[in-house]
Amino acid sequence: MVATPALLELDRVCRRLAGRAVLQDVSFSLHREDVLGLLGVNGAGKSTTLAIIAGVLKPDAGRVRIEGRDMDDDVRALRDRIGWVPERVPLWSELTVSEALEACGRLRGLPKSARKAACERELARLELEAVAHRLCGQVSLGQRRRVGLAQALLHEPDLLVLDEPGNGLDPVQNAQLCDLIGSLSRGRGIILSSHVLAEVAAMCNRVVILHDGRVRHDAKLDASLDDRRGRLEAQFRAIAQPMAAAAA
Amino acid sequence: MSALAVARLDLKRLAVRPFAWTLAGIALAMMAWQFLLGVSTFLHAQPTLPGAATEPGFVDAVVSPYLLNYIQLCLIIAPLITMQALAGERRSQRLALLTASGASGAGIVLGKFAARLVFVWLLLVVVATLPLVLSGATHPDWGQFGAALILSALCVAALTAIGIACSAFTPEPALAATAALLIGEGLSLIDAGVRITGGDGGWLGYLALHTHLAPAMRGLVRSEDIVYFLIVIVLALALAVRRVASERERD
Repeated sequence: MVATPALLELDRVCRRLAGRAVLQDVSFSLHREDVLGLLGVNGAGKSTTLAIIAGVLKPDAGRVRIEGRDMDDDVRALRDRIGWVPERVPLWSELTVSEALEACGRLRGLPKSARKAACERELARLELEAVAHRLCGQVSLGQRRRVGLAQALLHEPDLLVLDEPGNGLDPVQNAQLCDLIGSLSRGRGIILSSHVLAEVAAMCNRVVILHDGRVRHDAKLDASLDDRRGRLEAQFRAIAQPMAAAAA
Repeated sequence: MSALAVARLDLKRLAVRPFAWTLAGIALAMMAWQFLLGVSTFLHAQPTLPGAATEPGFVDAVVSPYLLNYIQLCLIIAPLITMQALAGERRSQRLALLTASGASGAGIVLGKFAARLVFVWLLLVVVATLPLVLSGATHPDWGQFGAALILSALCVAALTAIGIACSAFTPEPALAATAALLIGEGLSLIDAGVRITGGDGGWLGYLALHTHLAPAMRGLVRSEDIVYFLIVIVLALALAVRRVASERERD
């Protein structure tokens, strides 16, 4: 039997930014229905990793593959299988929420009828109907994140890439996000970054810990939520604290 | 396909932003004033003109200087309307969003150029409407008027393309506007010294905007002038596409 390739595979990815090695030999993989949490302190390389996966940055060395296809072979076609929400959700503040979704659908090349249906589906799924005619520049942070998510989901991507999705959300919004990510993971893979352990423990079934641009830990989270949180915290401290002390 | 989507998106954004309307309002007010001054001067001078066929007519005396004034104004309008096109988008991460949404570098640049071109050409149409209003009372030379209009349209397209190229190379909109303004002014003034001293300007003269606008203002459409503006447009847009397409590899 031939094994199906991983939905996402990073193979010894390296990247320098502003003369600094931000990522060094980063390798991990992700399968459908996986929710992978990318953990790390600020500056660990999480956002750079996600930008590379989204096809926005090119690795200096190493390979990124989507179901066995190399990203560099056809980056535009593979981008169509990815939905990306950066940390600072970039929205067109002059447009209403529904106009912004419509524009994204058009950029994705969705035909008119499919675009309309996709916009309505995402407005309903992300509970944005009430603000559909409000300007993007006037929605709250939580709503802004949901609009970003709706934009990323319009074309039903196989892989969802979320950079710090819980940043700035209140506990209620965080719980809603947790449920949403659970439902979105059916049939697709999700990779999200965070530096909040509880968030990753609640949302993810796998975790990769990045530190100084290297993968320090890569494991499944299969215990109960409390156990997960405890183990994750211990693991994270064991990696981050000695290195911070050594650096000091 | 992506160029069309980007152009529609940017046109929509321009249409709902007060900045574009304010800019258009100020520009049209200034042009209306210029036109009234031109007509007034012409009316005062008309009784002294002998009325021979070689004497300057309405198009020579009013329309051509008026269109040249619009081009002078576009040296400022084009940098202002293009400065956010790519520089502002890059700074707010929306350029990355466009790229991640599947738009190609060429699609992004051409779409943004097309949206701003529609804006400056619409302004040109409104500006050109004022002389048309008087066409019943005067007998304009339509050929000369058309030639001046065609080359003016190409010239403002070239200035817009330069603005887009400058916007592609920096994340700072103010820097992009300054660079576009300097290049535009440079092309406008490059042969001024040579013209003042009575020389033909040589290659410096060829680079100057004035060299390629002056014949059209007299009613002459030369293919070399059209080629000059097309070269500027293609070169500027090619540089911008190259810069945006290499965004993935940059720091």
